[in-house]
Amino acid sequence: MSLNETGEFVLPLPRPAAEQQDGLTGEDLARSRDRARVLAARARSSRWFLLWLLVGPGILAMLGENDGPSMISYAATGAAFGLGFFLPFIVVTFAMAIVCQEMCMRVGAVTHRGYGQLIIERYGKVWGWLAAGDLVFTNLVTLIAEFVAIRVGLAFFHLGAGVAALLGVVLVLLAQSGGRYWRWERVVLGLAVFNGLFLLSAVLVKPNTGHLTHAFLTFSPLPRGSFNEILLLLASTIGATVTPWMIFFQQSASADKGLTPNDLTQGRLDTVIGGVLAAVFGCGALVAGAALAGHGGASVDGLAGAGFPEALSRVDGGTAGALFALGLIEAGAVAILTISASTGYAIGECTGASSSFNRPLRDAASFYFVNVLVAVIAAAVILVPGVPLLSIALNANVLATVLLPVTLVFMVMLANDRQLMGRFANGPATNLAVAITVAVVAVCGAAYGIDSFLLQVHLIG
Amino acid sequence: MLTGSEPPPPPRLHEELFMSLERDQMVAGRHQALGRAHLSLRARAALWVLRGFVMVVGALVIYTFLARI
Repeated sequence: MSLNETGEFVLPLPRPAAEQQDGLTGEDLARSRDRARVLAARARSSRWFLLWLLVGPGILAMLGENDGPSMISYAATGAAFGLGFFLPFIVVTFAMAIVCQEMCMRVGAVTHRGYGQLIIERYGKVWGWLAAGDLVFTNLVTLIAEFVAIRVGLAFFHLGAGVAALLGVVLVLLAQSGGRYWRWERVVLGLAVFNGLFLLSAVLVKPNTGHLTHAFLTFSPLPRGSFNEILLLLASTIGATVTPWMIFFQQSASADKGLTPNDLTQGRLDTVIGGVLAAVFGCGALVAGAALAGHGGASVDGLAGAGFPEALSRVDGGTAGALFALGLIEAGAVAILTISASTGYAIGECTGASSSFNRPLRDAASFYFVNVLVAVIAAAVILVPGVPLLSIALNANVLATVLLPVTLVFMVMLANDRQLMGRFANGPATNLAVAITVAVVAVCGAAYGIDSFLLQVHLIG
Repeated sequence: MLTGSEPPPPPRLHEELFMSLERDQMVAGRHQALGRAHLSLRARAALWVLRGFVMVVGALVIYTFLARI
């Protein structure tokens, strides 16, 4: 075998008839080509090239979750409370996300199966379909919020909702047209790099480094405001870092990519790199939003109409606003690709249909169809006039937080299943960290849900 | 992506490719169902309680969201 200039193995591919005879499918061949490159890199001890080949699912899950609603949520938090408690809190939530996502990667690499398939096989169809139902529902709401984010970003450049809807759907169609997981992953990774625009935007608003250092070291000043507003921002900040779709996505993508137990070190690095980048860029969005704290942007809802990019451009003269707008377009686009993929994986795994980017369209029509369908439905919603943009974006994250505990508990059960995982099962330290995460997520989500309801029905003032 | 116009790989190359996958990593292996895990009655009850709790809180969030718009 030989490598061409792009690092791909040059191999003549077989006719479909031949593959049928041998029992080796096109998906197997595509994955085996990727694995052959990994094995060759490992044999040559090319550490960096090996890491380059194996990174992907972790970075995509983390940067995919630095999505439109998350960045709007961080910026809203910065605008409402300035630099303080929430800045280091973002770092803490990404530390929780790394613990959870490492489990997903490990389970996917050891079992070679996605989350939905494992739940159905180990715990039955009822739990599998409930998990998939939660995922499809929260994904649809989140996808609407992603299109909202693209719409807000494009509005800065005087482009309308129709362009946002078209852009999102065309991206989904283009990204999955390669018929290979590797190509899909690299296209989305290429787009995800631009999440760094939020950091540039933060640099341009010239934050006070003394305030930044003080916030990171002391978790203060503590937020002041109504209890319900703080709960909303706590829940949406958590929902901006750990969500059900990330769990489905990273496990399924790790299996689709072909990770094995030999790749766990690189898989962990992939997850940590993704978590660190996402935390830095997320903090960037909060810092940029904090520039509005003294410019009449203190109310979370007050910025819904003008949008953050326009408000930011009034602070620094235009560039920070433009970068923030481009960042929102990128964040929405990457999340549309990863979230629609997680929906396709989940439905395919629960129905038993083929669900792999390594399959051509004719062999996995339902997988590709679901990918496009959820994007089209979400795109259609944002074309409805008068949609409450910021409210949808913040509540999408809260809903994900509320539904997360069940998904996480099953993830922990799978990762502790010694029949499945053998010596790769969770250790006590991981279980303790995940237990704390589940408790924090459940308490924040429930507290916001109950408090908001009681306020709404005037049982508390 | 597979095309019908290209020739099949020589058997040796085919074999080498095949060797780069673990047995349970191939499509046929991934479709072999795993056995059901045993859950105690208490564990199943706890899961349903958690599920019910999450559904109630989710309903409260959705109601509040809809009532506010």
